[in-house]
Amino acid sequence: MSVSRANRIQLVLVMALLVVLHFYLRPRLWSARVSPDFLLIALVFFAMRAGPGAGALAGFVVGVVNDALTPAAFGAGALAHTVVGYLAAWGRAIFFADNLLVNAAFVAVALWVRDLLLLLASGTSRGRLLVELTLNSPLQALSTAVFALLVLAAFREWFAIRLDV
Amino acid sequence: MFLTCIGLSLVGLFSPSGWGQGIADTLRGTVLAPLVWLQARAEEGRTSRARLKAITVQRDSASYLAQGIPSLVAENERLRQLLTLSRRISTPYVAAEVLHQTQATDGRTLLLDVGRSDLVSEFDPVVAPEGLIGMVLSAGERSSVVMTWAHPEFRVSAYTVGGNASGVVAPSLSSMGGEGALEFRGVPYRDSVPGGTLVLSSGLGGVYPKGIPVGTVTGVVREQAGWERVYRLLPAANPGAVAHVLVLVSPSGTSMERAFPSDSALLAMRMDSIAEVRRTDSLEAAKVRRADSLAAAKARATAAAKARATAAAKVRQTDSLAVPKDSAR
Repeated sequence: MSVSRANRIQLVLVMALLVVLHFYLRPRLWSARVSPDFLLIALVFFAMRAGPGAGALAGFVVGVVNDALTPAAFGAGALAHTVVGYLAAWGRAIFFADNLLVNAAFVAVALWVRDLLLLLASGTSRGRLLVELTLNSPLQALSTAVFALLVLAAFREWFAIRLDV
Repeated sequence: MFLTCIGLSLVGLFSPSGWGQGIADTLRGTVLAPLVWLQARAEEGRTSRARLKAITVQRDSASYLAQGIPSLVAENERLRQLLTLSRRISTPYVAAEVLHQTQATDGRTLLLDVGRSDLVSEFDPVVAPEGLIGMVLSAGERSSVVMTWAHPEFRVSAYTVGGNASGVVAPSLSSMGGEGALEFRGVPYRDSVPGGTLVLSSGLGGVYPKGIPVGTVTGVVREQAGWERVYRLLPAANPGAVAHVLVLVSPSGTSMERAFPSDSALLAMRMDSIAEVRRTDSLEAAKVRRADSLAAAKARATAAAKARATAAAKVRQTDSLAVPKDSAR
């Protein structure tokens, strides 16, 4: 088995684990608006290692899945996740993406931007928007970033991340 | 690729809501069915511990009460029946579990684990024990989407519990009212509604049956040019906090007033049940007293009859002794 193929399989395994965690573990955790978003972690990790096109496509798929399961404004999730996937792929070229903390910060920023786009696209009122973006989204970004750090630390060989924090 | 995905997202966002609901239903019924199943199992797992605790508490209470006075046990059972909504509803209903939602738009819509295969259809009202949650917006084969009262398009015709004012309840969209509140609109200026008044669904419109609590009046939001007052309502049920709901599958023409008795009605029913127990107890005591007094009267009558019989026998004996003396003379 070639090295690149082995890496792909490892990446797919981690993604599958994150998907299972998102739909099986997350509902058992505390408030849904604060608990880590495992699908977004999977999206950002994938986009940073794939490319803008694949990142946007993955974001679109994740967004459609979210829209189908939280059908407040169908299309808003797809739009927000597509943009986040695309920007995450571009961000890798701009920032030092092999650093552990940069990856975690990427996830946190991506979640906040996703929430901003999602709330704007779904026509949320100004008061609710402020509460979400200043209270819930930062808390969720923090918990998601912490979990992203754990995933990167646990699978650092698979993700080829240097631990020079 | 990016532009294609953006384009498709925008098409989904700006297309008629029915299209989006249809696509979402199809996805949930096909590709995402395993994920929905996984979520449902996780939700069961999350609530099972709490349910076990509740059942343990109920069992402990029941065993404690079983050692007490039987009439109190019976009263406890009656009160539990009063408090169990599902036993009070006479119309067909389907119990549903609210599935976990992931995005920031939680609260406007809920995803239930029941669908057309459970006889759930569009426009079916959804209630919690506290009151109205909303109605089914779209029903898939095994799941359905509920439009809660927090949705901007939610409307329900309503009246106050005293019947002196009626209007339409809608979600509050003003920044002062907040999204967590409802507005009772269209109340004529001359009809003043005091704070704390319960507002119920009126049954007009054919979607929501009459008598479901919608909210409680907390104050006046605004007054419009002397012909209308808009009141702020504290919603009766919180969609963000419910884990289980009931879907009323054929509610047309039925009244739900008996299923949601007010606090005073519950108190009155409780007092009635206590009075009934007391009356039963007093009847039992009266029966015992009556039986005792009857037995005492019977004993007295028997003793008197015996005394009379003894006296008569003595008289007859005296007479028989006197007759031979007269004949000898």
